[in-house]
Amino acid sequence: MTHAVKYHPGMMLMEQYVEGTLAPDVALAVATHIDLCPHCQRLCQDIHNDQASSLAADDAPVMADDFAALFSAITAEPQLEKPRKTQQRDAVTVNINGREFRVPRALSRLANQHGKWLQLGGVATAKLPAGDKMHVSLLYIDKGTEIPNHTHLGLEMTLVLSGTICDENGEYGAGDLLINTPADTHTPHTRADEDCLCLSVLSAPLKFNKGLTRLLNPLQQFFY
Amino acid sequence: MLDSTALTRHHELSGTATRMPERMTISAEPHIRSGQWEDSLNFVALNADKAAYAELFNYFAPRLKAFGMKMFGNEQQALEMVQDTMLNVWKKARLFDASRGCASTWIFTIARNVRFDMLRKKQSRKDDISADDLWADGDYPELEESSSDQWETMLLSEKLAPYFDALPIAQRLVMQKVYLEEKSHQEVAEELDIPLGTVKSRIRLALDRLREALDDTRS
Repeated sequence: MTHAVKYHPGMMLMEQYVEGTLAPDVALAVATHIDLCPHCQRLCQDIHNDQASSLAADDAPVMADDFAALFSAITAEPQLEKPRKTQQRDAVTVNINGREFRVPRALSRLANQHGKWLQLGGVATAKLPAGDKMHVSLLYIDKGTEIPNHTHLGLEMTLVLSGTICDENGEYGAGDLLINTPADTHTPHTRADEDCLCLSVLSAPLKFNKGLTRLLNPLQQFFY
Repeated sequence: MLDSTALTRHHELSGTATRMPERMTISAEPHIRSGQWEDSLNFVALNADKAAYAELFNYFAPRLKAFGMKMFGNEQQALEMVQDTMLNVWKKARLFDASRGCASTWIFTIARNVRFDMLRKKQSRKDDISADDLWADGDYPELEESSSDQWETMLLSEKLAPYFDALPIAQRLVMQKVYLEEKSHQEVAEELDIPLGTVKSRIRLALDRLREALDDTRS
């Protein structure tokens, strides 16, 4: 049975995603969530219709413009043929720790170009070539692994692609979106019998809080 | 490409003698009947029908410009967006599929994607996230497969199940008879030997509880 997605992006994120005004890296996490969540696919469709109807409204404010030259130039162009069959992108998989994961559509182009896997204990990360202001990477956590307690210096978005992450606040399965802000501190871990692959979008490095793990702070670029 | 027979056929197909004068009205917007833009797009797709395209163009180009001005705050970029969007509407008309959404939504998504890729090009990062990555199926909004409804119902049921089980026994019993055994409220009242009003109020209470449980999960 498919996992029921429990944690969704808020309405404002969804609206900005449809509008195209969300930062591209944040939008990527939202798009990937939508690929995994039938509920948000429907919602997204409704928001599209809603925003489009305000564009097409009868009483939209318009200025008089002379578009005659543009009209002629466009209609002189050849039209595209209808493709015989809608092209399906081939399923893209990533391999790590002897496991193969299929990634959602939104990540298929980028996941093909992921950077080298960097491994530290049970955790591995690979950057995606999508960095703008945020850092976008795949994050793999082996079964029975805990990431030391940390605070977020910026925004941390984690989208579970496969497996389960547990932290002080709950359990997150495939499609679930976790958003952590500088106010949040948590100690995520995987289950004893199941590893986990996530999409991670970070706007600033993590800060490790406890004892010896503070020694990780100089290494935080590993997570960033 | 465009011959007189194509135009004639267009007007026969459209079946409205007043269509032509309406299109020529400049001062007052013609009344927009539903399906008009979908028809226009289909004529553009079938016959490269310039008259039908002119309808779309005259209506949407100024609106797209206003939209572009709002988003870019800059006339030059707004015009570039209008140009690319309307060019795509012409070139890709055969790719439009009315069963997947209305024409204005299709045009809106083209404009949104054009705008997104314009901003991205300005930063000249070719390996960066593109509109194709973010919005499924090029210019179409997210898929609307017939199976997706069914899947959603399934997911919803699965999601509801634990909350359903957690309902107070009296409410759960009523809900089970009404929603799973598909009995009428009256039948349930008789079976359980309780007033009809009680059946109705238990259903309302149970629905409130389930709705609350579901809403809780949207952060």
